[in-house]
Amino acid sequence: MTSSLDLVPELAPYQDQPAQLPAAANGKVGVLRLGFERRGDRTVLSDLYRQSPLLVQRALYWDEEMPGLPCVMILTTSGGVLQGDRLQMDVDLGAGAQAHLVTQAATKIQEMDANYGTQQQSITLADDAYLEFLPEPVIPFRHSRFVSHTLVRLAETATLLYAEVLQPGRKYYRDGEIFAYDLFSSQVRAERPDGRGLFVEKFVISPGRFPVARIGMMDRFHVFGNVMLLTDAGRAARVYERTAPPVWDEETPLATAVSRLPNEAGLVFKVLGQETEPVRAAVRAFCTAAREEVTGCTFPPTFSWR
Amino acid sequence: MPTMAETLRLLQFGDSAFPVGAFSFSNGLEMAVQHGIVHDRSSLQDFVRTVTRLAATGDGVAVLAGHRAAAVGDLDQVRRADEAVHLRKINEEMRTMSVRMGRKLADASNRIIGESLLKKRASETDNPVPVTYPVALGVLFAELGIHEEGAFAAHQYGAASMVLSAAIRLLRVDHFDAQSILFAVNEQVAADYQEVAGAGLDDMQGFAPHLDILAGAHQHTHVRMFMS
Repeated sequence: MTSSLDLVPELAPYQDQPAQLPAAANGKVGVLRLGFERRGDRTVLSDLYRQSPLLVQRALYWDEEMPGLPCVMILTTSGGVLQGDRLQMDVDLGAGAQAHLVTQAATKIQEMDANYGTQQQSITLADDAYLEFLPEPVIPFRHSRFVSHTLVRLAETATLLYAEVLQPGRKYYRDGEIFAYDLFSSQVRAERPDGRGLFVEKFVISPGRFPVARIGMMDRFHVFGNVMLLTDAGRAARVYERTAPPVWDEETPLATAVSRLPNEAGLVFKVLGQETEPVRAAVRAFCTAAREEVTGCTFPPTFSWR
Repeated sequence: MPTMAETLRLLQFGDSAFPVGAFSFSNGLEMAVQHGIVHDRSSLQDFVRTVTRLAATGDGVAVLAGHRAAAVGDLDQVRRADEAVHLRKINEEMRTMSVRMGRKLADASNRIIGESLLKKRASETDNPVPVTYPVALGVLFAELGIHEEGAFAAHQYGAASMVLSAAIRLLRVDHFDAQSILFAVNEQVAADYQEVAGAGLDDMQGFAPHLDILAGAHQHTHVRMFMS
């Protein structure tokens, strides 16, 4: 089973087979299909299909500020992304549906000595749908290779809040593992239901080929937070108003800035820090402003154990 | 060997003084200097190399796409390349720069060489996709009969010289320092070309969160010399 993802040029050097289960074998193709529908004053998880190593049990309604919001935790049964894994996730929200998606733990992209892991995500949002997709940080281990493609299709009245935090590796493992991975490649494309493009963000990080700990890329920072808020122009303008002042804090250190996406697609918020916590806090603050302006509800306090 | 006429065209249209308004942009340098990130010759050279690397793997691919489309007179493909570039300008200041310089290059080309594919593209009134600088450059150079390596090289030279001419105004570096840095980073152009020559529009990419944040912050400064 070869998909278009296997053919991207950055994967050309890694087409060898693992000594374990072959790539894309049974047990290595994770599938998740989540469909949400509005029913009265709440949204339900009306369609669920999963195939290991991806796992979802059921939607919970733990958000006290938005009691009708189904919260879904994505689990992996294999402790992260292994070489030869091919993950696919499709999320579909019907008109007026709302959902909150998280992962149970950090996404650990395990060490690799053959092949690579891929992830294909598709997110489809109908009129007035609202999705928060706020996974835990991604940790690419030494020599890991990972390619992710995300396609977002959303109606003009729909909203997607998508936050990712990328760590440099297992920073405090042994002597420290910082930018020791082989490849981290990520592409997000957003478009309208008729296929009209809104924006594309693609980055290919291969620190062994071109170092990223340099001015303009990561500079002296280690952790990168990237938040996309795709929403209509009026709501985007209100969030921009609240979040626009840039942060340049030499002490922590932390640097953030927000920018308007092309084609009035919404906003992108970028954060750089040395440690994960300040980056997460900045991401959370932006997400709070976004949720408040889009839904009129705030975020409940974070779980003390997370 | 290119003919003398081709060499002269490359020199003229690749010149950093060619009126596309490059002088009003610093490509993020102004903010980097303000925060003390770029403060001497060595940090300036690192900055310029980051800029040229991003120019190669991102817009450089679009220069080649524009050139190849123009070489076979395919206006649709030129349009697709412009759209691909515009969709990827996530960063507002870079987007403005690409569109402004694209329009200026098209205007200059209309005045200097007259009828061309670039003129046709720029005069489309019903198309919402703006002309972008890298694609316009590729198209123009194809029309001038300059091979794609020449177009790519001129683009890379332009990216470096834009930053360096801003650097002379922002930093304590002199023209000799700037020319030495230009000479050094130009040594990488051929290798960058080899790496991206086979890439298509979908492969355009760039990882520069630090520059993105500097650009995002730049928009909010009250006193600034440059538009980026």
